[in-house]
Amino acid sequence: MKILFQARGATLQALFLIVLSVAIMVVDHRYRHLEVVRSNISFAISPLRYLVSLPATAGNWVGDWVTSHTELLAENEALKDQSRILSARLQKLEILAEENARLRNLLGSSRKIADDVIVAELLSVDQNPYRQLIEINKGTADGVETGNAVIDDFGVMGQIIHVNPQSATIILISDPEHAIPVQFVRSGTRSVAFGRGSTRQLELRYLPATADIMIGDELVTSGLGGRFPPNYPVATVTSISEDRIRGFVSVLAEPRARLDSSREVLVIKPRQ
Amino acid sequence: MSPLKYLVICSSLLIALILMILPLPDWAQLYRPNWLALVLIYWSMALPKRVGLWFAFFSGIVLDTSMGTLLGQHTLALVVIIFFNLNFYQRIRVLALAQQSIYVFALLLINQVVVAWVEGILGRPTPLLAYFGGPLVGMLIWPWVFVILRDIRRKALLS
Repeated sequence: MKILFQARGATLQALFLIVLSVAIMVVDHRYRHLEVVRSNISFAISPLRYLVSLPATAGNWVGDWVTSHTELLAENEALKDQSRILSARLQKLEILAEENARLRNLLGSSRKIADDVIVAELLSVDQNPYRQLIEINKGTADGVETGNAVIDDFGVMGQIIHVNPQSATIILISDPEHAIPVQFVRSGTRSVAFGRGSTRQLELRYLPATADIMIGDELVTSGLGGRFPPNYPVATVTSISEDRIRGFVSVLAEPRARLDSSREVLVIKPRQ
Repeated sequence: MSPLKYLVICSSLLIALILMILPLPDWAQLYRPNWLALVLIYWSMALPKRVGLWFAFFSGIVLDTSMGTLLGQHTLALVVIIFFNLNFYQRIRVLALAQQSIYVFALLLINQVVVAWVEGILGRPTPLLAYFGGPLVGMLIWPWVFVILRDIRRKALLS
């Protein structure tokens, strides 16, 4: 008899926990209430994340350490050259930015040009293999907030979806659940680029067949939706396929950012 | 049971968690065995009165947080397989390791199917290999997991 009751107790407990997990899933999927739980547990296990990414970090560190003197000199020289070229370009850019600001003032537009950035490093941690998420080593303590855009030196990488005190999770623009508002530089056509689960491809759906698009066209953020600041490079068009029956074209584009190999990223904070 | 013994169990679960988020090359990710499930199956088989559904539930929540999956996804899967295990462990405990492996494969497969179904409901269909890759590797390493954890349990004098 006792065994029977014990067994029934276990079954009831299991049923209760199953219902509870399903309820948690529904709440987590539809609402943001569980973000607190997630960020607290995440904070508690953050030492594990650092521990896991330690071998990769140590490898880089040893690599830096054993770089030979001549290589360093050569690299230094190359960087100096690059810095000279960049600062020359910057001078021109500053003049343009000033002019732009002046003209915008004349027009009464209030759009800001510069943004604040936070430099962050990736933690080498594997997450859900079906999604495109990465972890960085800066969190609320450094001023990172949910929704901040993230870029690398080539283009837009994604945006912050969860923040913890010492780390944050980025959803890449290539995640199947991510969409980013974009604009063609050449023609000015606006569209939305969807992730496809591959770091090399974005898809622009339902563009009219009459749209002015060519292979090699550059896509930049349009700034619509308010998440991503405007005019950051996003992707380059690689293929255009026409659906003659429905009169749409489907466009594939390759992200400019090195989604799978960048180690340092910039988190962009909107200016208050 | 003394706190030290819980410490041993919890550390083995933590190590399993580390193995779950350890970076692997892309092609190998689908073959990653569910370490946390393996360790939980072992403990719930060896100490069914101590390590049961609640352990599965909390480990699942932590796993979901660290993998960035939907909160509750792995939790549900782990609770389900530990529930099965609590019903069957007496018959499985006495089997040879190779026979146990087949049983463990079945549990890991159920775990994987639950996780993949939730992905599917969210509109992210998973490749077929995702169902079998992990459980297959898990089945092959089960004898080692079993022997290592058994030795740890004996050293720590857990009964």
